[in-house]
Amino acid sequence: MMNPINLKEVERKAFRSTYQDGLWDIYWGLLVICMALFIYRPADGYNAWNTITMALSFLLLYGLFWAGKKYITLPRMGQVSFGAVRKKKTRTLGIILGVFVLIHVGVVGLSIYSWANPEVSTILSSFIKSPRSELLIVASIGSLIVGTSMLVIAYFSDFLRGFYIGVMMALAVFLMIYLNQPIYPIVIGTVIILPGVVLLMRFLKTYPLHKEGLSNE
Amino acid sequence: MSENGGNPSLSDLADLNRIVHEPARLAIMALLYVIESADFTFLINQTGLTWGNLSAHISKLEGAGYLEVEKSFKGKRPSTTLRLTTQGRKAFHDYAQRMKQLFKDVPA
Repeated sequence: MMNPINLKEVERKAFRSTYQDGLWDIYWGLLVICMALFIYRPADGYNAWNTITMALSFLLLYGLFWAGKKYITLPRMGQVSFGAVRKKKTRTLGIILGVFVLIHVGVVGLSIYSWANPEVSTILSSFIKSPRSELLIVASIGSLIVGTSMLVIAYFSDFLRGFYIGVMMALAVFLMIYLNQPIYPIVIGTVIILPGVVLLMRFLKTYPLHKEGLSNE
Repeated sequence: MSENGGNPSLSDLADLNRIVHEPARLAIMALLYVIESADFTFLINQTGLTWGNLSAHISKLEGAGYLEVEKSFKGKRPSTTLRLTTQGRKAFHDYAQRMKQLFKDVPA
């Protein structure tokens, strides 16, 4: 029996098919691993150099992701431009992420100001008695920032696995800060990457490069 | 329309847009209706049609003025982008409305 055509479903399936290559999963997983490798330094603590190397590794990863999309996915999957509704969603996502970044900067700025200000610092110290509680608060804020950002990205990008990735990333950030060990985010990053690798293998098998595909005529 | 005063609902079937009505073309148009544009490879992957088959249907749709075919080069590789024309969008919309009306009260 034929199913009735649901045009919204046709569009959603076409859109979600662009995530079949597993590249997003690999990208986010590697991002978590890079964060663990470059920002964690038990001997010298957190410093500017760690942050710079992490930012550079993020740029390199994005470059690899872009190259993967261009040279692996597009020749096999084909190119598509989605309609006004998707473009509006992308714009909304951009605005929300922009607001998120401003809030994050505000939170970090306020924290630095509070700890630098002796009066506020004294008040805060009366609430946060042990270094463990301080770590707990920082880890919670960090994981909340990363987790909510990823969940928003997943929601507006219609990227279902993104919800799972968001939760895993939040957990990775929390464990990295609270337990001060890079091994947890490395393991979690690997757990995020693995389904991506399986999807990529399946994608390469399902969508081989056709001779016609090269000419695209 | 029926000349011998037949069942008006059934005689409406004869007026269906046959260019859109063909299943493969209907699939192509339904997909292009919900997106802005796509290339050949994307349409093949989504519709499951073969290269030759798709090419033939594209020519027919282009001939009817329902489809705009834009050929360009991306680097050294030729690329063909397909999108529905305003006329094509209207034809698909009218066809969908008509089909809805025709099968409004199907008995169980």
